Amino acid sequence: MSIPELKISGLRVAVDHKEILRGVDLAVRGGEIHAVMGPNGTGKSTLASTLMGHPKYEVTAGEASLDGEDLFAMGVDERALKGLFLAMQYPSEVSGVSNANFMRIALNARRGEGNEVPVLKFHRELKEKMKSLSIDETFAERYLNEGFSGGEKKRNEILQMTVLRPRIAILDEIDSGLDIDALRIVADGVNGLRGPEFGALIITHYQRLLEYIHPDFVHVMMQGRIVRSGGRELVEQLEARGYDWLKEELGIADETVGAGA
Amino acid sequence: MSVVQDVSTFAGSVRDCFTDAGDSQSLVQDRVDAAVRSEALPVPKYERSDLARRNLAAYSVAGPERAGDWRALAEPFIGADDGHPLLVIADGHVVLTRGLEGLSGQGVVFTSLRGAVREHADLTRSLGTVVPSDDRLLALNAALWRDGAFVFVPKGVRMERPLQLVHVTTTAGHGTFPRNLIVAEADSQVTFLDAYASAGDLPDELCVAVTEVTVGRGARVKAGTVQDFSRSVTSVAVRRAAVDAAGEMDWVTGETGDGFGIVEFGSELDGEGGRSSAHAIAIGTGRAHLDLTARMVHAGRHTTSDISARGVMQDRANAVYRGLTVIKKDAHDANGSQTEKLLMLSPKSRAVAIPMLLIDENDVKCGHAASVGQINPDQLFYLMSRGVSERAAKRMIVWGFIDPVLAELPIDAVRTAMEKVVERKLA
Ligand SMILES: Nc1ncnc2c1ncn2[C@@H]1O[C@H](COP(=O)(O)OP(=O)(O)OP(=O)(O)O)[C@@H](O)[C@H]1O
Ligand SMILES: [Mg+2]
Repeated sequence: MSIPELKISGLRVAVDHKEILRGVDLAVRGGEIHAVMGPNGTGKSTLASTLMGHPKYEVTAGEASLDGEDLFAMGVDERALKGLFLAMQYPSEVSGVSNANFMRIALNARRGEGNEVPVLKFHRELKEKMKSLSIDETFAERYLNEGFSGGEKKRNEILQMTVLRPRIAILDEIDSGLDIDALRIVADGVNGLRGPEFGALIITHYQRLLEYIHPDFVHVMMQGRIVRSGGRELVEQLEARGYDWLKEELGIADETVGAGA
Repeated sequence: MSVVQDVSTFAGSVRDCFTDAGDSQSLVQDRVDAAVRSEALPVPKYERSDLARRNLAAYSVAGPERAGDWRALAEPFIGADDGHPLLVIADGHVVLTRGLEGLSGQGVVFTSLRGAVREHADLTRSLGTVVPSDDRLLALNAALWRDGAFVFVPKGVRMERPLQLVHVTTTAGHGTFPRNLIVAEADSQVTFLDAYASAGDLPDELCVAVTEVTVGRGARVKAGTVQDFSRSVTSVAVRRAAVDAAGEMDWVTGETGDGFGIVEFGSELDGEGGRSSAHAIAIGTGRAHLDLTARMVHAGRHTTSDISARGVMQDRANAVYRGLTVIKKDAHDANGSQTEKLLMLSPKSRAVAIPMLLIDENDVKCGHAASVGQINPDQLFYLMSRGVSERAAKRMIVWGFIDPVLAELPIDAVRTAMEKVVERKLA
């Protein structure tokens, strides 16, 4: 396995003809953990969904590649098969398909025809993973996310991630709605994947998650752009002082997307 | 009493045909009366489903002389080996029976309706009372019904195994006129399953099907119907139950044909504390037109009804779903709920859901929900973001959409048959 690389340059994205991302440059390589922070409504989820390929987002300029291949030329499923993963801020509920079955189908799609995981082995491993994420066994047979609480959905996203073992994972507010114990458990799940063949882009509002998952790089988004990048010390600065000092430094009055255009 | 009446040519030929076929005099008379009425009554009107544009003349008084090759059509619906009692009718003729005789020990009768009218005149008195001949097509069925199932379950007898009718049409132009009568006496229990299919390459064919059920005090009846008619069939099916006090009637229907189909089904909750449910799934393909009405009429106090219908339309298929909950005056504490949900998979498919509540009483609870839409793009995105192909993801969503109703089909074999049809239609 090679070292994955996600590269984004000059990315501009519009939703319903409204420009949301206005020039994003970023590279995530295997072995790296990037944190993206920023006030509400500054384009973080837009970046995440665009990279995964949600049809609502229109790329108007710039490019993105995964291991040198044009990401935007691929369908959503292709991106996943190449190792991209998005833990969503608001995971969908789908009835009729059980959580376990769905994961098995997805894993087999990833592994390719003729290389399917044996059913028993899958269930055994799933059970272990669920246990380590403190997810009750009954969630295997429940319909995908249906009726799951906010925190349960988040844990289920991480479960899917550990089952699918992506090469680049984007985690969009995986810590929102988690209690303190769950936060630690989820962080352990992410840390367990760390290594040269795994890179992550973690979107979060809180320092706490980053105390458990140490980022190598920290980026701040405002007005649809990365306005500041640094190391872990940036998290501490933000935690201590909020965003105002940064806005002042940058001369930004309103950090949201619509403003300052 | 054989008074020769002056009737129309049509009624006259009905009389001759069914007299020759050996029906009793009184049954022949009922048929003649119905034939006369059918000529006077109007074609039923279904808003958005114009029967006048269909070939309603695609039938003849005399049915096919013998059954055609029915096995391939019938077999998918026949549960393989669980040995439940079975009646197979092809082109109006009984072609196979299984396990009917063993029932008589408990006093249960499961036989062809034609035979029952002859042999159990006392038990078949309710024929025509639950579904009266009040439009041209219902009267036509009353005049020409060729055969169907008769089920009688005596007081207190609880049938565990389902009784099944499989009805196939292999040849066209004669018309398909099935008629079933189910009589469940007080505190009895029975499950009736019927499946209808027609050969794929038929020219125009008219099908009018009627099912009447009487649910006695405290009795419990489940009826599960699957229809898979082909493109050139025009079918109208009316299935109704009269439910006595504390009786329960559960309807399930699956419509998968690609012809022009109208289905009306439901219950009249006359007695106090009666309950009924109606579940429906339709999968429309090609140029299918499916018009489905679930109808619940509350006359008794403390009665409960629940309608839940799902439809999936693809290609150029068109669906009209109506939920009709009627609550009559003095039906205190009646409770009716309904949900109609339709999913359109292609830009050329059409669907409309029309919930109707007609309420004449204050002390009631009613709820309804109706939705018509396409596949939710967020769901599709979510599934695909895990590496599942668009096609597979759509199938998952469709299965999830119909699953709550499919799960209600009361027998595994029929559910499996239905699943296979759905699988084929979604391919
Ligand atoms: N369909 C749309 N039409 C107009 N504006 C939209 C549309 N969808 C999203 N937006 C706007 O785009 C901006 C960025 O949204 P996004 O979800 O990316 O923010 P975010 O940084 O993830 O915020 P949060 O921290 O609250 O999750 C917001 O101002 C949002 O209102
Ligand atoms: Mg967001």
